[in-house]
Amino acid sequence: MAQMGIYFDQTRCTGCFTCVVACKDWYDLDAGPVNFMRVRSIERGTFPDLFAAYLASPCYHCLQPPCIQVCPGQAITKRAIDGLVVVDADRCLGKDECPQKCLKACPWKAPQFDPSPDAKMQKCQLCLERLEEGKQPICVEACPMFALDVGPIDELQKKYGEASEAEGFRTFKQFKPAVIFKPKRFSAL
Amino acid sequence: MNQLQPKDLGSEVSIVNTGCCHDCGGRCVLRAHVKEGKIIRLESDNGPKPQIRACLRGRAYRQRLYSPDRLKYPMRRIGERGQGKFERITWDEALDEVSENLKRIRASYGNSAILFLPGAGNQGMLHGPVVPGMLLQQFGGFTRFWGIPSYEGALFASMATYGTIRTGHSRDDLLNSRLILLWGWNPANTIWDPETSLSLARAREKGARLVAVDPRYTDSVATFADQWIPIRPGTDAAMLIAMAYVIITEGLVDQAFIEKYTQGFDHYRDYVLGKEDEEPKTPQWAETITKVPAKVIIDLARAYAGQKPAALIAGWGPARMALGEQYSRSAAVLCALTGNIGLPGGYAAGFMRAYSSRETGHLLKKDPNLQVDKSQGIPSANPVEDGAKPRPDSLYKLSGGTNATSARIHQSQIWDAILRGKAGGYPADLKMAYIVASNCLNQYPNANRGAQALKSLEFIVVHEQFMTPTARFADVLLPVNTFMEREDIAPPWLGSPYYIYLNKAVDSMYESKSDLEICRELAPRLGIPQGFFNLPDGEILRMFTSRRRDITDFDAMKSEGVLKIHLPEPIVAFKDQITDPQKNPFPTLSGKIEIDCDHLREMNHPRIPSIPKYLGHSEHYDVPLAKKYPLQLLTTHSKIRTHSTLERVPWLKELEVQGVWINPADAEPRNIQKGDRIDVFNDRGRIRIPAYVTERIMPGVVNVCQGAWYTPDNEGVDIGGCANTLTRDEPSPGGAFPMNSALVQVELSPPGKEEEK
Repeated sequence: MAQMGIYFDQTRCTGCFTCVVACKDWYDLDAGPVNFMRVRSIERGTFPDLFAAYLASPCYHCLQPPCIQVCPGQAITKRAIDGLVVVDADRCLGKDECPQKCLKACPWKAPQFDPSPDAKMQKCQLCLERLEEGKQPICVEACPMFALDVGPIDELQKKYGEASEAEGFRTFKQFKPAVIFKPKRFSAL
Repeated sequence: MNQLQPKDLGSEVSIVNTGCCHDCGGRCVLRAHVKEGKIIRLESDNGPKPQIRACLRGRAYRQRLYSPDRLKYPMRRIGERGQGKFERITWDEALDEVSENLKRIRASYGNSAILFLPGAGNQGMLHGPVVPGMLLQQFGGFTRFWGIPSYEGALFASMATYGTIRTGHSRDDLLNSRLILLWGWNPANTIWDPETSLSLARAREKGARLVAVDPRYTDSVATFADQWIPIRPGTDAAMLIAMAYVIITEGLVDQAFIEKYTQGFDHYRDYVLGKEDEEPKTPQWAETITKVPAKVIIDLARAYAGQKPAALIAGWGPARMALGEQYSRSAAVLCALTGNIGLPGGYAAGFMRAYSSRETGHLLKKDPNLQVDKSQGIPSANPVEDGAKPRPDSLYKLSGGTNATSARIHQSQIWDAILRGKAGGYPADLKMAYIVASNCLNQYPNANRGAQALKSLEFIVVHEQFMTPTARFADVLLPVNTFMEREDIAPPWLGSPYYIYLNKAVDSMYESKSDLEICRELAPRLGIPQGFFNLPDGEILRMFTSRRRDITDFDAMKSEGVLKIHLPEPIVAFKDQITDPQKNPFPTLSGKIEIDCDHLREMNHPRIPSIPKYLGHSEHYDVPLAKKYPLQLLTTHSKIRTHSTLERVPWLKELEVQGVWINPADAEPRNIQKGDRIDVFNDRGRIRIPAYVTERIMPGVVNVCQGAWYTPDNEGVDIGGCANTLTRDEPSPGGAFPMNSALVQVELSPPGKEEEK
């Protein structure tokens, strides 16, 4: 199995949100709380010694996904072929019957629910239909800074190193998120 | 398994190559996926590198195209101007009314009473105000404005110093710099050619040091800068002049460069050293003014002079100040003192145009027209201004740059000119406004005065896509389509060698028409031959591009949607002038870089001296008014809009609140916390929006991103948060707009209003 993973160059991210909007357009998601790709902003320090960074947060497609373990309907599965963590809307019990256990289990809040009472879980599936066509996910192809990459995690590691921490990224090594970073180091200007 | 999929994947979807073409620094590729006449999703450039990737604004375009707020049919005003009450009418009724009013105004007052206000809402070659301007010209002409808020101060300084606006390098040349100064420049939000941010990141990765001078800790500062130097707004010239002091007194001047390529250094040196006014412009002198520590100024001056090649990129924002010309001139002169002009990795701070395919050879060579005496009258195709004398404060002897005719009114004074006319010293009594692709009420300074002025006109027609604050003042409102619904070409902006062919992706929505179609139907009503206006879009575009030597295959450009021009090497401005100055003089009056400008010396205007100087003005931080209004207002660009365009796009709106940036040091004494609704006000107006309390702006300064829509409530408080409700409408002699030179006070909104949020 070639586990797919994500690379994020935090030093290049300007926080422009192009990846977020491109994703919403591609999946035709209304403005509102459902965002498969999210960008977190981190600000520290006091004037004039400041630091700011952004963190792109799709689903990190963990090797040991906590969401799968807690899902009462076995709606979430990890694909053998590429390690992508996907959700079957037919099996998801929805917000009515399940108190969003997957969302609570995920340290990075990747599972998304729209405001409707019986909303089913949706999340980033790394544009698997694009990957199958040999294309990059829409966020990767959209990033004006070329700060994102997606591919087999071992290849990404060869290309970019193995840094597994970044500013604002909550580390939970037990879940083995399939992500590597070029982190931005906190150093007040 | 019911798995998430994008809608309508499959074969019935066709892809149309088009692009995004509003007035930001980008013109970007969009590939529209069209199914059954509807765009269902967008991609951007996924072709060969360099890719021209759209930013969030372009990616969100579907929500603008299909916005429920689009204007759907022609309308006639039934309420008061500004109230926004309209009734639906037919196109024939609307066009008859427009043409009757044009004819009536012309017969009663003459063509000069027709004020044409073209805007920058569409940056294509064909649509937007281009064709309406041609039509009105054939109708006998019109009065228009001179001066563009974005850059007029920078442009004037560029012309005065170098005699040209072509001072830029292509962005790939940033990789040749050892040191890059981002002075009041935030391309992460303002784009400034699509590859700019990426080039800055790459330059830094390659080892260049980047220093940002800016009152705000912008996204560009956060991402690219090794050092942030916050500076008090409006004092940039003082810091640049103090850097010159260090460079001169420490013997770091590139003497050979000065002697060979410049004139007037001695005069400037005398001013810098204080021989002229007993005030040496030392770093300590500048520290008091700028709030930048003297040591920081000294270090930066040494680094800039010592680490060649170094690129001082002087953004336009600090020139968008009262007397902003002085900042741009000071920056240009610093480039000359250090000899960073004309070499790879250097930069000639100026207007920044790098690539231009037009017949611009004359801008770099001495123009034979230079000898033509324009002092007695400037020829124009617009009959209203043909033969008018030049403005006394213009650089009319130079070729290129801003039209110098005295028949035009500075854009910041349009409202005053409407209200006071010839009696107020303006060239015309204005009776009607023809407004195309312009949200002028929102985007010109002093919006409340603008509303007053628009109410006083006899007739207003507006071509628009949305019910903008300006559109609400129209008597007849004509719905216009977007660039997804027509053909156009996006020409290169300042630095990028490419064209985007905007193929029509879908039919015009509702009853909307293109500006060309509107003119086609107006022409016979105005007694103008339809010939040109009857040509199809594609044919006119072919005509327009026929003189551009870099478009060798129009059809290939159209089918591929983009034409990327390969440059054999990076563009470096003034390379020829530096290599062989005898053969290639600078296009100034003297043929040299004019530290002391001949043209300005002849003008003899104390507010625009022949050498750059640090000058105060009536709303500077140190004037008595600052006791009443102690905060300096910046009106910068938001990443979620292009000026006032894209204001009502939900995907963008949710990313950023239109808030007032205010430092905790200013917020706390006023009892203001993040998210509180606050009032920002001065004698010109009052806006009411949430507070964004942040360390990312220096104390004493507040920021309101320009472009949010002017929305006065019953008491006249602008609850839309339009920055221009607060800005000054008095231009500088060189044309610089004072958009970043307003003093304001801030307070918590009244409690009753607070509850409404």
